[in-house]
Amino acid sequence: MASRTVAKDIITLRGSAAIVSEFFGYAANSILYNRGVYPEESFAKVKKYGLPMLLTQDEGVKSFITNLTAQLSEWLESGKLQRVVMVIMSKATNEVLERWNFSIETDSEVVEKSVSREKSDREIMREIQAIMRQVASSITYLPCLDEPCVFDVLAYTDKDVAVPFTWIESDPKLIANPQMVKLHSFDTKIHKVDTLVSYKNDEWDEQ
Amino acid sequence: MILRTPPPKKQRAEPIHHDSPSPLVASEGRLVIYEDNPLAAPPPESPNQPSDHLLCTYQCRQMVKADVLDALSNAEKQISDYQSKLEALSESLSKAEAERKKFRDQFLYAEQELAAAKGREQMLHDQLLKEVDDSQERFRKQLETNNELKGKLQNEMNLRKKAEFSSVSAEEKAADLEGKLNQFSQSIETEKKRLHNELALLKGESKLSISRISADLERMEFRANNAEKESELLKEQLEDLKKHLNECLNQKSEVEKKFSSFTFQEVSSSESNILIKHLQEELRNYESEVREARKLKSSHEDIELLKAKLLEEKGRRERVESELSKLQEQQISLVNLENELLLWKLITKDIPDVSCPEDVPVKFATLQKEVIDSTIKIGEANARLKQIEVRLDATELAKQNAEADAALAKEKAEVLKSEVKRTELMLSMVNEERDKLRNVINDSKRHKNEEAGDEMTSGTVVQELESSLVKKESCIKELERNLREQKEINDRQQNEIKLLHDRLNNEARRIKSLERESDRLRSEISLLESKLGHGDYSSANTKVLRMVNTLAVDNESKQTIEALQTELQKTKEKLQALEELKNQSGDTGKLVDSYISEKIMKLKEQIATLEKREERYKTVFADRISVFRRACCELFGYKIVMDEHQRPNGIPVTRFTLQSIYAQNDDEKLEFEYESGNTNILENNYTVQREISHQVDIFVRKLNSIPAFTANLTVESFNRRTLS
Repeated sequence: MASRTVAKDIITLRGSAAIVSEFFGYAANSILYNRGVYPEESFAKVKKYGLPMLLTQDEGVKSFITNLTAQLSEWLESGKLQRVVMVIMSKATNEVLERWNFSIETDSEVVEKSVSREKSDREIMREIQAIMRQVASSITYLPCLDEPCVFDVLAYTDKDVAVPFTWIESDPKLIANPQMVKLHSFDTKIHKVDTLVSYKNDEWDEQ
Repeated sequence: MILRTPPPKKQRAEPIHHDSPSPLVASEGRLVIYEDNPLAAPPPESPNQPSDHLLCTYQCRQMVKADVLDALSNAEKQISDYQSKLEALSESLSKAEAERKKFRDQFLYAEQELAAAKGREQMLHDQLLKEVDDSQERFRKQLETNNELKGKLQNEMNLRKKAEFSSVSAEEKAADLEGKLNQFSQSIETEKKRLHNELALLKGESKLSISRISADLERMEFRANNAEKESELLKEQLEDLKKHLNECLNQKSEVEKKFSSFTFQEVSSSESNILIKHLQEELRNYESEVREARKLKSSHEDIELLKAKLLEEKGRRERVESELSKLQEQQISLVNLENELLLWKLITKDIPDVSCPEDVPVKFATLQKEVIDSTIKIGEANARLKQIEVRLDATELAKQNAEADAALAKEKAEVLKSEVKRTELMLSMVNEERDKLRNVINDSKRHKNEEAGDEMTSGTVVQELESSLVKKESCIKELERNLREQKEINDRQQNEIKLLHDRLNNEARRIKSLERESDRLRSEISLLESKLGHGDYSSANTKVLRMVNTLAVDNESKQTIEALQTELQKTKEKLQALEELKNQSGDTGKLVDSYISEKIMKLKEQIATLEKREERYKTVFADRISVFRRACCELFGYKIVMDEHQRPNGIPVTRFTLQSIYAQNDDEKLEFEYESGNTNILENNYTVQREISHQVDIFVRKLNSIPAFTANLTVESFNRRTLS
C-alpha cells in the first residue's frame, strides 16, 4: 500500500488569528444554543467545520460577538491574548454558573520574527470539529440551567495591553469549588487553544 | 636335495664335519647321505673306480635310498611341519602386521584426533580469549558507563535534594500562605456575616420606615380627605357668601339706583334715609363678613401652609433621626473596620517582605512565581528522572546482555571443559592402547628378533608416536593450565558481575523511590494545573478585561426607560386626577402634588442622566467615526460615504461612494457595493468613460484588485491636477 502524504498548508500569524477568532465566534454561538441562554428559534443553521452549526439571528448578540471576535483577532495577531472566558450567569442573582475557558498559547517566535508554519487545514478543521462535538455533548453532564441566564466574555491579556474604549477591567468572575471538565484542544502551530469548562456543583449532586 | 651323482668319498670327512648331528633340521634343507660322500670326494680323484664301488653302492644305494627316502619323508614331514609352522608364523606375522597396521591406523587416527582436538582446543582457546577480551572490554565499558551513571546519579541526587529543599520550602511557604489565606477567608466570612446582619438590620429598618411612611401616607390621605371635606365645606360657605355678596351687591346697586332716583325727587323721607342707613349697615356688615371670610380663608391657607411645613419638618426630623442612627451604625462599622485594619496590618507584619497592604498582591505574585518556578524545576527534574530511568533501563539491558554473554561464555567454558575431559579420556584411552600396543610390540619383538627391519621401523614409529604423545600431553597440560587461568578470570568476572548486580539493585531501589517522588510531584502539578484551570492568574502579568455588554446595558436602559415611562404615565394620571381635585379644592391637592412632584423630579433626573449617557455614547462614536473617516481620506485620498440600500429582493446591502480629493468635478465618483465580504464596482457616468472603463477592466476584472485601481486613479488624478 502506497503511503499517503498529507498536504500541508502554510499558516501565517494573521491566518491563525482569523481561524482562532472565528472558532471562538462559532463556539460562543454553540454554547449559547446548547445551554439555552437564548431561545432555540432565534438560531439559524449553517454549515461549518463539516458540521451543522447554529448561529444566533438576534442583531444585538450578533453585533456583540462580531465586535468581540474582531478585537480578539487583533490581540491574537499581537500575541497579547492569554485566555478567553465565556461566563454564564444567573440573570436574577448575577451568580456565575458556568465558565467556558479557552486558554491560548502563542508561539512567540512567529510573533517576533513573522515566520510562518505549515499544517494541513483539514487537520485543524478536524480538531475543531472534535471540540464542537464535545461542546454539543456537554449537555449530558452539565447541570440544567432552569433560570434565565445571561452571558459575558472575559479576556485575559498581557498587562501592557492598551484597553480599548469598549472594554473595561473586571474581576475574573470565578466559581467557588467548581467541577471541571477538560475538553480537546486544537493547534494551528502558531496558536494552541485548550478548552475547559468549569461549573457550579449542582445541588442534586451535593445531596 | 639328493644329488644324482653321488660325490666322491674323499669328500666324506668334510661332509662328516659338515654333517650336523641333526640332519633333520630343515632349516637349510640340505641332506648329506652318510655313505656317499660326493662332497668329500676330491675333485682331482677321478671316477675311475666305479665298479666296486658300484656294487656296494647299489645296496648301499638301496639302503641309502631307503634311508634317504625315509629321511626324505622325514624331511618332507619336517618340511611340511616347518611349512605349516612357517605358515602359522607367517599368519601370525601377517596378523601381527595387520594388528600393527591397525594399531598404526589407530595411532594415526588418534594422532589426527589429537591434532583435531588440539586444533579445536586452539580455536576454542582463541575464541575463549576473544570472548574473554570482548567481555572484558564490555565489562570495562559497562564499568565506565556505570561510573558515568554514578556520577550523573550523584549529580541528579544533588539536584533532587536541592529541588526537594526548594519544594519543601515552597510547600512551607504555600502552607503558610494557605493558613493566611484561610485566616483572610475567615475574616472575609465574618465580614460577610456582619454585612449580612447589617443588611438584615437595614432591611428591617427599611421595612419599618416603609411602614412608617405608609402610616404617614395614610394619615396624609386622611388629612387630605378631611382637608378636602373642609375645603368643600368652605367652598360651599364661600359660594353662599358669594351669593350673599352678589345679592348684597345687587341690593346695593338697586339701592343706589333707588338712591339716585330718590335724590332727584328730593323726598327727604326719613324712612328712605333709614333704609339707606340700614342698607349701608348691612353692606358694612356684609363687607366685614366678607373681610372676615377672606381673613379666614387667608388664615386657613396659612394654616395649610404651616401644616405642610410642619410635615416637611417632621419628615426632615425623621430623616435626620434615621441618618443619625445610620451615623451611629457607621461609626460602629468604622470602629470595626479600624480593628480589622489593625488585624490586617498585624497579619501583613507577620508576612515577610510586606510593609504595606499594596505589597501583599506583589508578595502573592512573587510567591506564585516561586511556585511556578518550583513546578518548572520539578518538571525539569521529572524530565531528568525520566532520562535517568531510560539510561538505567539501557544499563540494565546491557547488564542482561553481559549476563547472557557471561552465561554463554560459561557454557562454552563448560563445553570446552567437557571437550577437554573427553580429549583427556581419549588421551588416556589412547595411552592405554599405546601401552597395550607397546606390550604387543614388545611381544612381537621378542617373537620376531630376526625381522629387524620391520620391527625397527615399527619401533621408530612407536617412538615417534610416543614422542608425539608426550608433546601432546604437554600441550594438554598447557591447555589445562590455560583453562585454569580462564576459570580464575571467569570467577573474578563473576564476582565483578555480582558486585554490579548489587549496585544495580541499589540503583533500582533508588529509582523506585524517585518514581514515588515523581508521582507525588505529578499529583501536585495536577493540583496546580487544576487551580490554573479554575481561572487563577498572576496579576503581575495578566489583566482581565470585559467588553461593556452593550446588550445588557441597552436592555437595562431600555427596561429602566420602560419602567420609568410606565411610572410617568401613572403619575401623570394621578396628577390629572389630583389637578381635577385641586380645581375642586385647590388647597388639599398641594400635599399630594409635592409628593408626586418629587417622584416626577427624580424620574426626570434619571431620564436626563440616561439620555445624557446615550448622547455621550453617540458623540464619542461620532467623534471616533469622523476621526477614522478623516484619517482614511487623508491616507488613501478618497472621501468615503457609506449608505445602506435594499435590493429589489429585499437583501440589505452596503453602498460605498468614493470621491478622490484630486477630483476635478463632483461627477467623478466611484460607487461600490459591499455584501458579506464581496466588493463589486457599480457602473455610473464616470466609470463608463473610456479611460476609466479601461482601467476597471484591467485592474478589477482581470487582476481582481480594487486597491490597485483606486491607487492608479489617485496617481492619475494627482498628475492631472499638478500638471493643470
